[in-house]
Amino acid sequence: MNGVRFLGAGLHTHLGRGVAANLDALERAPPRPVLTSVPLGAGLEHVPSMPLADAPLADFETRLMRVAVEVAEEAIAAAGLTEAQRRETALFVGTSSLDISITEAVYRRELAAGLDAHPLTSNSSMGNLGNELRRALKLGGSDFTFNTACTASANALLYADAMVRAGHAKTALVLGLEAFNAITALGFQSLDLLARDGMKPFDAGRRGLVLGEGCSALVVGMDNGAGFRLRGGANACDPYGISAANPDGSTIAGVIADALRAAKLDASSLRAIKTHGTASLLNDEAEAAGLTRLFKAPLPVCALKPFIGHTFGACGLNELILLCGAVERGFIPGTPGIGASGEELGVTLTQGPTPVEPGAFLLNYFGFGGNNSALVVANA
Amino acid sequence: MREAFIHGCGDYYAAVETDDALADLKPLVKEATGQPVRRVGRFIQLALIGAGRCLGGRTAPDDTAVYFTSGRGDMEVTVEVMEALFRDGEAPKPLHFINTVSNAACFYISKHFGLHGRSTFLCNRYFSFETALQLALFDLSSGVVKHALVGSVDIVTPPLPIQRRRLHLSSDTPVAEACHWLLLSADPTGARGAIAASSVFGDRAAALEFARKADAPFGAVGQFGENEAFLRDAGVSEIFDYRAGRAHYDSQSGAAISSFLDAGSGALLHVNADPDGRHGVMLVRKTTP
Repeated sequence: MNGVRFLGAGLHTHLGRGVAANLDALERAPPRPVLTSVPLGAGLEHVPSMPLADAPLADFETRLMRVAVEVAEEAIAAAGLTEAQRRETALFVGTSSLDISITEAVYRRELAAGLDAHPLTSNSSMGNLGNELRRALKLGGSDFTFNTACTASANALLYADAMVRAGHAKTALVLGLEAFNAITALGFQSLDLLARDGMKPFDAGRRGLVLGEGCSALVVGMDNGAGFRLRGGANACDPYGISAANPDGSTIAGVIADALRAAKLDASSLRAIKTHGTASLLNDEAEAAGLTRLFKAPLPVCALKPFIGHTFGACGLNELILLCGAVERGFIPGTPGIGASGEELGVTLTQGPTPVEPGAFLLNYFGFGGNNSALVVANA
Repeated sequence: MREAFIHGCGDYYAAVETDDALADLKPLVKEATGQPVRRVGRFIQLALIGAGRCLGGRTAPDDTAVYFTSGRGDMEVTVEVMEALFRDGEAPKPLHFINTVSNAACFYISKHFGLHGRSTFLCNRYFSFETALQLALFDLSSGVVKHALVGSVDIVTPPLPIQRRRLHLSSDTPVAEACHWLLLSADPTGARGAIAASSVFGDRAAALEFARKADAPFGAVGQFGENEAFLRDAGVSEIFDYRAGRAHYDSQSGAAISSFLDAGSGALLHVNADPDGRHGVMLVRKTTP
């Protein structure tokens, strides 16, 4: 059947460089986070993090673009796009921190050199990253950069899929991008939301999140193949609180119900759920309450942030590619010893790789600013 | 694509001539939203002022979607956090850090006006207002969204010489703060006008082909890279100069629409272009009274 499908993916996270390396690592238990040193005044702050594999935290002025272009090229090659097709491809970027890692590095260098340094003088345009990526990748279509915190790349995919489906773009490249930067690292440290012993979503011992770095790319286009596709999705704003969803789960249940309606499915049709699972006290409580409202029968439920950390604006696409890849290999990833009992919140996570058949899968994303999204993907 | 009908406009514009000449926005926020809003900076204040003026005291349907854009975002809070962190060695304050997230402004709009529809903060280097409008039109056209608030905010963060460095402007370029908001819906009843199109074309020829078919008597050029020759080639008979006397800020395209509804007639073709030859085109029609 002809339709909009995922034609090729690229991925670089803490688990590895390339989709295959990431999926290999997903069959094992999550790695432990590392402590990354961030200069603050005369001292160093040590923040729990899961930085990109094989990409040292150095050369920040060039690192972001180097990683993004490599991941995008992996997806483009996997999709087999020709030069002519590139010229008709639109770019949809989802990111929380844009290119602030570059801006920070320039400001730091200018301060150290004793120059008349001021933040944002090298670049202050919020659209610069999308424009530079479009040019570097030789894409001729429109570019849209979504900056909606942790839902950014999920929202980018929602629009990319809809625009290709409606014929507004022949092909779309969706890119999720989140690079290590001091503002995010020390901002979350100041909120006391970082956990040194790793992320433990829905677990009584959850203490918060680990900073993740990640970059993912997905080519979306018309195809009559049998691979994964976005079957439906939804986005809504929850005005309950700027940093936490309504703890009664009503707004989260609402956006999931909207996504299922868009996918023309009911809750019992799903094979499994990928939670947002930030391992913070309030957000897991709200997500669990939302899931409990909608899902009465037990389903395999997984969380992927213990594997790669919280990759913020990129988590939408990073976790989608991980889940789809794992399902194509026949399993739902599991997190041994994390979220095992379900006693506190009523959500029990898969405890190891769990066999799964093709079908439909729900992916949740909830972000700062009350931005909530849910996607339903299917490969059957 | 079907037209999206314009049911409200809300604007703010103020040239900033000296470092201490920034207007006090607090009374304007209270006037626009009906209540004081504390602990937010100029970026969020201007978002609330624009959205409030656009609604003009009406209650928007609670499923109204928000499409928000900016050329530079909340520079005030980003500069504050970066100077504290890298120059002064202080960690970000929690509220400052939260407000560095661009869609914090979308949250305040949703909270103050009771909205829970789709919410998007979107950026584009040369076509920020055009692409925000493009997404809104797309959602309205597909029926996913029934009502949309589309807006832009650009602020000035003194000192002015540094603001100009950040915007890569010459030392004598006047700068301004501004916001432009539209309330759109698929319902034509009582509308002041309509957005017939907002698209980005890959090159001049494709944009021109569209522009010639638009048959608009008025034309306007945006702030980036296109000139009146394009409009003449498109068959426009009269230039609508909404930018005369306007100081620099990024999302000026947003000003074209409300200016035309106030002072123009018929239809307006608005064009911008980037250095790669892509063209952003908006087509606005004014309702005949």
